[in-house]
Amino acid sequence: MLIVALTFVFLLVIGMPVAFAIAISGATYFLQHPELPLTIPVQVTVSQTQNFALLAVPLFIIAGNFLNHSGITERLLTLASVLTGRLRGGLAQVSLTLSALMGGVSGSAIADAAMQSRMIGEAMVNRGMSRGFVAGVLSFGSILTPLIPPGIGMILYGTIGQVSIGRLFAAGIVPALLLWLALAVTVSLTARRRGYPAERDTRPTAREFTQALRGGIFALLFPVILLLGLRMGVFTPSEIGAFAVIYAIFVGIAIHRKLNRASFIEAVEGSLADVGAIMFLIALSAIFTYGIVLDRVPEVVSRWILSLTDNLHLVMVLVVLIVIAAGLLVDATVLIIMLTPIFLPLARQLGADPVHFGIVFIVAATIGNFTPPVGAAMYAVCSIIKVGVGSYSRESLPFILAVTLVALVLVFVPGVVLFLPEALFAR
Amino acid sequence: AQDYTLRFNHVLGPSEPYHQGFTQWAERVAERSDGRLKIDVFHSAQLGVEEDIIEQMRQGANVGQNTDAARLGNYVPSIAVVNGPYFAESLEDVAKLADTPSMQAWQEELAKDHGLKVVCFDWVQGYRHFFTNTPITAPDDLDGLRIRTPPAPIWQESISALGAAPTAMAFGDMYPGLQQRAIDGVELVYNNIPAGRFYEVLSHVSETGHIMLVNFQVVSNAWFEGLPEDLQAILVEECKTAGQETSAAILESEQKVKADLVAKGMTVVEGVDMAAFRAAGENAYEALNLGDARRQVLSEMGKE
Amino acid sequence: MRQLHQWLGRLEAVVAGSFLLTMVVLIFIGGIARLLRVPQNWTIDIATCLFAWACFLAADIAWRRDALMSIDLLTARLSPALRRGLATVNLCLIAGFLAYVIWAGIRLSWVSRARSFQGIPEISYALVTMSLPAGAALLLMTTGFKLYDLWSRDNRPGPGGKVA
Ligand code: NA
Ligand code: NA
Repeated sequence: MLIVALTFVFLLVIGMPVAFAIAISGATYFLQHPELPLTIPVQVTVSQTQNFALLAVPLFIIAGNFLNHSGITERLLTLASVLTGRLRGGLAQVSLTLSALMGGVSGSAIADAAMQSRMIGEAMVNRGMSRGFVAGVLSFGSILTPLIPPGIGMILYGTIGQVSIGRLFAAGIVPALLLWLALAVTVSLTARRRGYPAERDTRPTAREFTQALRGGIFALLFPVILLLGLRMGVFTPSEIGAFAVIYAIFVGIAIHRKLNRASFIEAVEGSLADVGAIMFLIALSAIFTYGIVLDRVPEVVSRWILSLTDNLHLVMVLVVLIVIAAGLLVDATVLIIMLTPIFLPLARQLGADPVHFGIVFIVAATIGNFTPPVGAAMYAVCSIIKVGVGSYSRESLPFILAVTLVALVLVFVPGVVLFLPEALFAR
Repeated sequence: AQDYTLRFNHVLGPSEPYHQGFTQWAERVAERSDGRLKIDVFHSAQLGVEEDIIEQMRQGANVGQNTDAARLGNYVPSIAVVNGPYFAESLEDVAKLADTPSMQAWQEELAKDHGLKVVCFDWVQGYRHFFTNTPITAPDDLDGLRIRTPPAPIWQESISALGAAPTAMAFGDMYPGLQQRAIDGVELVYNNIPAGRFYEVLSHVSETGHIMLVNFQVVSNAWFEGLPEDLQAILVEECKTAGQETSAAILESEQKVKADLVAKGMTVVEGVDMAAFRAAGENAYEALNLGDARRQVLSEMGKE
Repeated sequence: MRQLHQWLGRLEAVVAGSFLLTMVVLIFIGGIARLLRVPQNWTIDIATCLFAWACFLAADIAWRRDALMSIDLLTARLSPALRRGLATVNLCLIAGFLAYVIWAGIRLSWVSRARSFQGIPEISYALVTMSLPAGAALLLMTTGFKLYDLWSRDNRPGPGGKVA
């Protein structure tokens, strides 16, 4: 795996597109293992597209594109400016709110980040915020999505580790609110320092407010309908994606009368490039992951931890740091599948509550989606916002510090995580 | 001497009894072969999708997979009969099955024509029952209920023969599917229920025992042929021993799992009309063109 | 040749676009049907098959538009000549990789042609597998034109083979 990792870094440095760099470096593993058929890289890549859970990603990308062309976004922005116009960097705050709202609908940070980038990314840039900052907010803001139920990460962790998924769902809510607060403070500090202007300096009148509310009603109804659809058991998450597309088209044609033949084609074409860039990368990353699994890289790491310390809090802090470090190269889903069976027994052995440990672990793993050089949410956002990974990384530093800080608070104050599940589920 | 490694993949989680069983198999093979043959066990489908692994074996890779008769039926259709409703009904049946000329001929065909070597099939996950939120006592009670099945026609045909509306879904989608009421129930073995925490979203178990799930340990035939004969023997013998022990332990533990589930609030439905389910199950074989294969194997087993 | 490439570009956009929209409709119908308690399992089967094709066709659309992400931290500071050299190395490696994918993809489709798609006996999984070598062939063609443009037009090389 060392050769694979070095090849990968080298290819990135010489500026090769990440999708190809990940695939070509991953393929070198197979050259070192002549016993493996050379068709495996093709096979695992194709298999990624047959994963029903991953279908949610392109569907929410398409939904975002159609929402953009159906007049929903503009009306939502009007409302947002009325609501938060007096805050510095107001739209950035709105995007965080939206992530929390979307959290009740989508289980995937990647899908949420891609959709929001389509919906309000350009508008944020037009408000004078730097592209790197905008990408940072949209990317890191989506950390709220998998923590507010439902979340794919919690389902995976609960299933693999035999931990109550109901408790995990309940346990995610308070940490999500805490993360929201931390990110909102970070946004407002940066906005103040940079002098990002407020959009308006007068308090909105009642009339303005009701007008904006009426204009944005279909946008506001959107997450509510999706949430109800999911809660009432009408749709699974992938179907919710399909429903979102059809809702956006319906509103665009029948209600806002904004979607015509030309803008319809434009929405599809925009979706194609987004889906191509994002799904191609996700599909090819399976080649890279293959060697990591085969060489059991995670287990070696776990043995090494125990040789350092057996203090629970220190181990959890180490796990957070290791997961964030591993997350540089691997995305959350893969991290959770690979590391849960290694770290959870370790934590249990040292007396941790599996729900508490799980939430800390999932927060740390989700950060992997946002950090370079490999992070699906990061790529989705950066390619849509059209910003280089370099300036994204620089401007994301405050956000990664903020979420890491919250992860550490969660380690040392288990009550924040466990309060709600213990109130809701009697032992 | 040359050393050999088998990378063995299965889709179940690390806490399922099967995983412990495979680890046992690996330990004993390593011990008896003085480390010349090593089995590396991968849980939760870490090496990939079941169908992908099977294709890798056919190309001679040193991988193995825990699979079922339905998937092997893609290559030798008749073998799928083992996955039909009310086919094998006890561990004794499974042992008898191994000695039937038909099963031996089908395994031969799998190896010769398709490159798939069945190491053993002494692994039984237990009886599949219906887990739902309404009591099921007869096939009519399943009418209109969306029951999750693995995505394969034989499962769908069997479940639909028993009266339900089969809904294909991946294993991992079941919990959210039930929670969001996208499906009304599942048909699984007892041990899957605590492992997947399904008691949180399901209230009733109806012990139909409609399928005794027999699993096959399959490796690449080319790789197997390349092993020295003593290692081949060790691999097969320890597969059988570990499989029989694991199966017996699972069937024994079912009563304990059941008691745990009742303690967690699940209701075991009384008075299931087994005769009606059996009769309904027979329709599946005809619909799948497996009627002759079924009669043939059952007569060889001395059951009919 | 370039005309053929442009024509293929339009064709792949139309095909991938219709596949994505069909996917949306199929998944939606699947949800509605299950809600009405008449689950239709084929809708998801067809949707995932279309998804594979849409993915790899769309990958070429993204590649044509230089929409694949790359890290340009270091290359941006190099001299134009050096950048062109690196871009050439990149494109050649990518071309080599794509040629391998085409070979391995066709080979895999052939050796595993007996594998059924979603356990449906009449449909071969090769129908899905072929989506990758087909997409790779289009990507290879696009890569070829990028290489050609890199050396024939005015020297405007960018990172990651970004030429336009
Ligand atoms: Na969520
Ligand atoms: Na990362």
